Amino acid sequence: MDQRPPDRWTAKAAASGRVRRHSLLDRAYHWLMAICVFVLMATAFLPILGIKFEWLDIHWTTGVALAALVLIHIARAVFFQDWRNMWIGFADLRELWGDAARLFGSRKQPALPGKYDAAQKLYHLGVAVVVLAVVGSGLFMLLKIDTPFWRRNPYWFSADTWGVIYVIHGFAAMAIVAIVIVHLYFALVPDSWYLLRAMLRGWISGKEYAQHHDPARWKA
Amino acid sequence: MELFRYSRSIYGGSDQLIGASWDLLPWFVGAAVVFIIVHAILSALAKRRARRAAA
Repeated sequence: MDQRPPDRWTAKAAASGRVRRHSLLDRAYHWLMAICVFVLMATAFLPILGIKFEWLDIHWTTGVALAALVLIHIARAVFFQDWRNMWIGFADLRELWGDAARLFGSRKQPALPGKYDAAQKLYHLGVAVVVLAVVGSGLFMLLKIDTPFWRRNPYWFSADTWGVIYVIHGFAAMAIVAIVIVHLYFALVPDSWYLLRAMLRGWISGKEYAQHHDPARWKA
Repeated sequence: MELFRYSRSIYGGSDQLIGASWDLLPWFVGAAVVFIIVHAILSALAKRRARRAAA
């Protein structure tokens, strides 16, 4: 691993020895979203795989909870956090190209990223598209079931439109399964353990900050 | 392999689209597993090259 000299630490990081990466609220959002996604995957796919149980009420209530979490996350990211941390710019595209080149043999030293590297930003974009698709289509699908809050109205859309909504929901749900598997891999691979700890406890060490991040792009 | 699920009306007429085919689920899982295997192999090779270059 490339060892950056201590002068790349900011004074704050050097003094505390730790850099806060995720606030308690962001970690709570992440793990609540994870719980929702696992419950939704289980209630969606276990019955399809032959394990029969009363899945619908658990599924739609968890889906509404996920929708609320996503709305809170979007509002928080736009109004209370620096959304540019997740924005994919030209520097990120160059970084992605460098990452791919290194996997295939290039020995060029990588430029250090800001808070999130290009691959993480790309992953986040994919998750955002798929989750918005599954949540959006799922909210429409609530019109087809009776709940304590409203009576079903399946005539809101034509049969053809319902078919398209169900196709979007189904493909997005299956894509989420793939995305979760890849996410678990990157979370558990030893190179990323410091990020897993950050998602559990909120911080990375000053050494990890210096090794993995450019202080000019992410000020600790 | 079907991409979509259709229902057939008991009164006849054309098939009605009702959703994505669940037969695709193993393909999504397989794509994720293939991605992981390829990434793990390429990462291991890249690390070995880096160690050799540093030695």
